[in-house]
Amino acid sequence: MDTKAAISALNRFGLGARPGELAGLRDPRGWLNAQLARGPDGADAFSGLPSSLDYLRAEASLQRTRREFKRGNGGGRRHFLLAPARAAKAAVDANAAALKHALGPFRQDFRKDLMAEASARLRVATTTDTPFVERLVYFWSNHFAVSVDKNVARMLAAPMEREAIRPNVTGKFSDMLLAVETHPAMLLYLDNARSVGPDSPLGRRLRRRLALHGDMDEGKAGGLNENLGREAMELHTVGVNGGYTQADVTEFSRALTGWSLPFPRDFANGRKPPSAFVFRANAHEPGPRHVMGTSFAAGGFGQGKAILEFLAHHPAAARHLSLLLARHFVSDHPPPSLVDRMARSYLEHGTDLTAVYRTMIESPEAWSADARKFRTPQDFVIASLRAAQVDLDGKPQAALALMARLGEPLFDPRSPAGFTDDSADWIDPDALWKRVQAAEALAERVALPEARPLALARDILGPLLDPDTMQAIRRAESKRQAYATMFACPAFQWRV
Amino acid sequence: MLTRRQFLASSAIGAATLLVWPRLTFAATGSDTRFLFVFLRGGLDGLESVPPYGDPGYQAIRGALALSPSAAKPAHRLDNVFALHPSFAHAARLYAQGQFMPVVAAAPPYWGRSHFQAQNCVENGTGKPDGAQTGWLNRCLACMPGVDGLACAPVMPLTMRGPARVEAWSPPLPTDVNPILLQRLQPLYAADPRLAGTFVRAVARRQDSGIARSGTGMAPGGTDAHAGRTRGGLPLMMGAAGDFMGRTDGPRVAFVEDEGWDTHANEAFIVTRKIAELDAGLQAFQHAIGPTWGRTVLVVATEFGRTAHINGTGGTDHGSGGSMFLAGGALRGGRVLGKWPGISAGELYQGRDVHATTDFRSVFKGVLAAHLGVPGSLLESRVFPGSAAAEPIEGLLSTARAAA
Repeated sequence: MDTKAAISALNRFGLGARPGELAGLRDPRGWLNAQLARGPDGADAFSGLPSSLDYLRAEASLQRTRREFKRGNGGGRRHFLLAPARAAKAAVDANAAALKHALGPFRQDFRKDLMAEASARLRVATTTDTPFVERLVYFWSNHFAVSVDKNVARMLAAPMEREAIRPNVTGKFSDMLLAVETHPAMLLYLDNARSVGPDSPLGRRLRRRLALHGDMDEGKAGGLNENLGREAMELHTVGVNGGYTQADVTEFSRALTGWSLPFPRDFANGRKPPSAFVFRANAHEPGPRHVMGTSFAAGGFGQGKAILEFLAHHPAAARHLSLLLARHFVSDHPPPSLVDRMARSYLEHGTDLTAVYRTMIESPEAWSADARKFRTPQDFVIASLRAAQVDLDGKPQAALALMARLGEPLFDPRSPAGFTDDSADWIDPDALWKRVQAAEALAERVALPEARPLALARDILGPLLDPDTMQAIRRAESKRQAYATMFACPAFQWRV
Repeated sequence: MLTRRQFLASSAIGAATLLVWPRLTFAATGSDTRFLFVFLRGGLDGLESVPPYGDPGYQAIRGALALSPSAAKPAHRLDNVFALHPSFAHAARLYAQGQFMPVVAAAPPYWGRSHFQAQNCVENGTGKPDGAQTGWLNRCLACMPGVDGLACAPVMPLTMRGPARVEAWSPPLPTDVNPILLQRLQPLYAADPRLAGTFVRAVARRQDSGIARSGTGMAPGGTDAHAGRTRGGLPLMMGAAGDFMGRTDGPRVAFVEDEGWDTHANEAFIVTRKIAELDAGLQAFQHAIGPTWGRTVLVVATEFGRTAHINGTGGTDHGSGGSMFLAGGALRGGRVLGKWPGISAGELYQGRDVHATTDFRSVFKGVLAAHLGVPGSLLESRVFPGSAAAEPIEGLLSTARAAA
């Protein structure tokens, strides 16, 4: 048996070994292929979680409560103006406190939901039998990054991964792309939800109103927003060198006008929007569009969909996505031969991702001895939890805090480009120092009374466990120190 | 209220603080000036941060976002044309003292509108996103033998990557590391060619982490609650930079970054909050660096400005010319730098953006030459290769400083 290939399958393509996995792995390539055939895990773990539509409904109800509260106190406010200043201030403070109290239950629910989402995700990460597919989910999730530091997207980043990425992770890229760009998380995060075509019925009406009432807030006047159009080309599909111009960005953004989601008013009076995506025809810019030398006839939602399909099938997208995949799994500078082969496969199979993944794992370059990536903080924490079978018991806070302190807070890359995938960005003294600290914190969570640390290290690291590391673990003054040594040793920091 | 120095002298923690930063020696170059680069990622809007309220086209083009010294929330008037955003309270005070200076219509040499390409250019110091694999500030440090740099960031930013030695710092994890574990790890890391040097430096600063935290706790807003956050925000990070740089053997060159300036929607609200953070950061830095402020220049820059027109969602999209800011006790400020291109019809770049008239390398070259003493030939050949057309701006330092 080729244990080097087995450890690569577990680390380079997976999420790190669990006890017993390395010893049981006879056919590394076959193991990866079988995972692709099985598809994504997590159906059980995620089954009880709210949908995006549920979250939007809850948000609408929060806003309604806030509005009703303010309306209910409107009469009082006039009274405050007449009262002495101090009394007015006390009343305003009381008002604010009461509002805070009224909204408290919503905030508690949201916090609970966020923890439940994170908990389910980490449970799947630490227990899954299909870690290769799981890693692919995280790769695409970061590729289509929605950062929760932008408030409107806070509740929806995790659901987007469950609803748009996960179901399509072994399917066609074009399907995943459409699912993502029509997901409320992305539409809110990249500001498309309220983008209005200037010549759409709504755009014209707003302009007329603006002409009548010149003092109207221009921000509410409605107009085009290019954010999603640009990032969908630059980051999501053809890449920044994909051959598009500013005019293409604007044209594509026009085609995307009207791509939106149910607003709070759509939930009013017990109404039930059927979907978390809404195409608002009255905000859609009419007319044909020209994007990257190709014409797209007018056709409402179908027009933007056709452009996305066109972008997904573009050779520049094939190259861009293949490079990103190879860089993620193989090395910071993957061999061009590998990238070319993957890109060909992508186009030949109509953007079928499983075909691309298979091409990658069947290529010798992907298994070469010098291919390696430094574990990102999320990789590191998950690999540690898997290795020591740490049960988070529904309390993900400690693991989330570690990821955040190490520089990779969950769903919070602060940029639509996602977290960096370049090892050089993660290797520096401060980060390494924190990793040693994190190793000690993680070692405290290991609850394996029967286990012998050295045996566990052999089980997890296999051929990567060199004599010096073995010696260091053997000499540790306590089990906890032995586990800390294993998590902190250089062999554990690499996906080789 | 105690000054920072008094506090240090009076507390045991303070006494320990003075021992921090042990391995680095900054004595090699003669003068003892300090330089901080603050990079705002996302694209700060020049027309919001330095509103040209006196430009005849401004009110019309900015509509609801327009600011003015005569508005209900008044912008800080600088001259007959420009003002500072209302949130720039401390900056306005510094301006009055000649220690703050905005640059209008400035941009890096790359005028595309991609965040990540533009940021690469800001960081690698060339006109091309892949123009260099190292950062200009690291190459600048490489031209200053014996001077080390500091990056206040959780991971080493491109600006600071390269041949010269730079330390990264971010708020530490609270737990201490068992020194025996470290001893055991040392030979293991020594055998890993890619990680060996990094680990040595990580261990060398091990006493630093706990102490540095108490040091930054003194910055305004930099309470212990802030120390618990992964990314501290500008007040904490700039306060920490000032704390390190204010020490006698502290780093002379440092880098701080911030995110969240990409205001596609609801810009008025976001910019008000973010500029208040930057303003608090300036104050925290000045407070923490103490008397060294007099020998300090800091430059704040972003990757691009934003569209002159407001978009449909109360924000602005990616543009070209934007604003930069200089501050510090060594600055000859109290004026607005840069040629204003105007924003009326026909004056906008491609009909949408403020036309950039100052290559931001001209500002940096001016500062690096006069303030850090980097020879002009090295600025051209190594720090900003291919920047001959962007001539260094002269006269950026106060006369007192220049005479010294």
